Amino acid sequence: MSEFTISRRGLLAGSALLLASTALPTIGFAQTPKKGGRLVLAADSEPRNLNPAIVASNGVFFISSKIVETLAEASFDGKDGLEPRLALSWEGAADGLSVTFKLRDGVKWHDGKPFTSADVAFSALQIWKPLQNLGRTVFKDLEAVDTPDEHTAIFKFVKPTPSQLIRNALPALSSVVPQHLYELGKIEDNPANNAPVGTGPFKFAEYKAGQYYRLTRNGAYWGKDEPYLDEIVYQVLPDRTSAASALEAEEIQLAAFSAVPLADLDRISKVPGLKVITKGYEGLTYQLVVEINHRRKELADVKVRQAIAHAIDKDFVVKTIFLGYAATATGPVPKNDPQFYTADVPTYAFDVAKANALLDEAGYKRADDGKRFALKLLPAPYFNETKQFGDYLRQALAAVGIDAEIVNNDSAAHIKAVYTDHAFDLAVGPPVFRGDPAISTTILVQSGIPDGVPFSNQGGYKNAELDALIVKASETLDTAARTDLYKEFQKKVAADLPLINVAEWSFISVARDTVGNIANNPRWAVSNWADTYLES
Amino acid sequence: MSRLRRFLRTPEAIAGASILALLVVMALAAPLLFPGDPQAIAGPALLPPFQDWSLPLGTDRLGRDVLAELFHGAHTSLAVGLAAAAAALLIGAVVGTLAGFAGGLADEVLMRITDAFQTVPGFLLALAFVSIVGPSLGVVVAAIALSAWTGPARVARAEVLSIRERDYVAGARVIGMHPLEIAFREVLPNALPPVLALSSVIVAAAILTEAALSFLGLGDPNRVTWGGMIAEGRTVLRTAPFLSIVPGIALVLTVLGVYLAGEGLVESTATRGSLS
Repeated sequence: MSEFTISRRGLLAGSALLLASTALPTIGFAQTPKKGGRLVLAADSEPRNLNPAIVASNGVFFISSKIVETLAEASFDGKDGLEPRLALSWEGAADGLSVTFKLRDGVKWHDGKPFTSADVAFSALQIWKPLQNLGRTVFKDLEAVDTPDEHTAIFKFVKPTPSQLIRNALPALSSVVPQHLYELGKIEDNPANNAPVGTGPFKFAEYKAGQYYRLTRNGAYWGKDEPYLDEIVYQVLPDRTSAASALEAEEIQLAAFSAVPLADLDRISKVPGLKVITKGYEGLTYQLVVEINHRRKELADVKVRQAIAHAIDKDFVVKTIFLGYAATATGPVPKNDPQFYTADVPTYAFDVAKANALLDEAGYKRADDGKRFALKLLPAPYFNETKQFGDYLRQALAAVGIDAEIVNNDSAAHIKAVYTDHAFDLAVGPPVFRGDPAISTTILVQSGIPDGVPFSNQGGYKNAELDALIVKASETLDTAARTDLYKEFQKKVAADLPLINVAEWSFISVARDTVGNIANNPRWAVSNWADTYLES
Repeated sequence: MSRLRRFLRTPEAIAGASILALLVVMALAAPLLFPGDPQAIAGPALLPPFQDWSLPLGTDRLGRDVLAELFHGAHTSLAVGLAAAAAALLIGAVVGTLAGFAGGLADEVLMRITDAFQTVPGFLLALAFVSIVGPSLGVVVAAIALSAWTGPARVARAEVLSIRERDYVAGARVIGMHPLEIAFREVLPNALPPVLALSSVIVAAAILTEAALSFLGLGDPNRVTWGGMIAEGRTVLRTAPFLSIVPGIALVLTVLGVYLAGEGLVESTATRGSLS
């Protein structure tokens, strides 16, 4: 394990941390996993709806991915970057109108009923397509799911759908829930949304609000000898500073999703018995983005947007706000993405003089008080880093004569202000890149999205050329051609700046040395943990 | 003059008054000593205190000058404290005087409203108000005043009840003064001293409430506040404790100063009472 134990200096030395981490060799330990034990870990939020088929978000996956499984999981070295779960194989037809899944045999739901292709058909048609936040886009053309036998599911699409997109969507979007529990009554009100039933290695045992979630071992799991742990307990610790002390006091053995503040990592990496792990989040890259309201006449001018991009010192953001645990961004696809990323895009070096010149050129001269115009800046409240970047951006804009006033809101009010009421000029947002630009990235710049859709283009940006490119890419079946279109997409976004990508970051886990098989896939924190074990 | 001398006789009062004087000087000097935006990035991030004498108290997580923030924070704290206390005293005195002087139904209604406000913990009220209206300095002042006016209202009413039976009030009535004129020109000024004695407590409470609101992220984000500084320092409490300790000490000293000065004031008035 020591090769993944990092020091801050080592981290800072590698300038492209995220890139470097994907290049590390995959884990292969000779150690035999030990059975039994209870893993206690920190949870910083308490999602009420635990159904990952409806709410495909990391907060829900963190808990329910151990209970409800997907068709496939992300993998460092598997074919197409995937590893089979409920599906053993997937094959897209040449015309893009169907994808055939062969399903695993002998899988049982936690209540003892057998898992069949009917469950997959039900989940896809009744939940992923109509109800799921991400599935609505990806599965919009899904018309039917044929089930010729109990272990085959054939997805039929009305329009050609790239199989690359479906593959990339499997880890996050394909949680299968039991038809026999969901077919009666309204799916959104089903009690199983709060006490999920799945096929996964752990069963949902209990939830005490404000205290913990408890999962117990599924003795009838399909994986040989798995799972190794008897119990997983998510201790609710909403206060970030308490996770570090709980780890030191051995009250918890693991704090994922950067529950330990970045500023504490340097100190905690020196505590004997604890290790800091940056691997295991490659498939969950968050992007630090300045969202722009193009309804403001100043911001509708590309020169002003370029000036703002030039005014931001991305290196400062990475070094000071993220303490090196991030990478600077060049465009809408993160650098650590193995399929789509291109560095061949227009870039905006930190250059205050150039930013000032661009603003002058755009016709916004400094008034006598040194200010050009005033803006409202809404930093998203979800992360400390987004709030701090808001504070930084206000200063960076002040340096070029733009007077930004920060407006703080809680999560619900922020989402309403930005994505429904459009009551912002600039906002700081953390969208997630989910392995394929078509899942949750193109929606950030595409026009024609109804008001109120969170994490979408609500800045009133409209670019017919870019819209056409997005549509074309969504219909292109050939993987290489499709990838090229998304490279073109990155160039266009970086040139016209509908939004400004500043940095990309993932999370850090801190664990006790006794926790084994950590970070062995790119979505480890939200994978099923069947092979995780505890040394005594 | 003699009252001031009497006030300064007790050591508490001297300590309190000097702390407050220092605070006022800090608040007034802030724009002169640290012109420009105190939230501007001034140096490397997380510089510990007493390392670099151009940044004597070090820098925070973004590299902002802690000393400049401390001075400008004094400005905000004092402004909020005084404004909120003034507003609370004004509302309280008016409501109390009206209730006490009018009596009858008006008294009942106003006092029941006061009761209603008093049953809700003041801080919760302020919290709810700010989260609904949205955080800005004016809203914070209004929220604190809203939670603090009931004390002065009750004291003012009690005073007015005794004063309105005095002969000079009856005299004013006889010469045909308007009741409102009597209430606010004859009665209120005489009822004020005990109400004003509450002011020190209210200022101290207002400064604390403002700090608590900022700590919870409900302060004005475009201004430096001590509560906000503590909240930001809290995330790095283990690695850079000074970021929370420095504004924390400032807060403790300020509240202590206000309290001591208030005590001194009470004592000096009490001495006068026993002498007369």
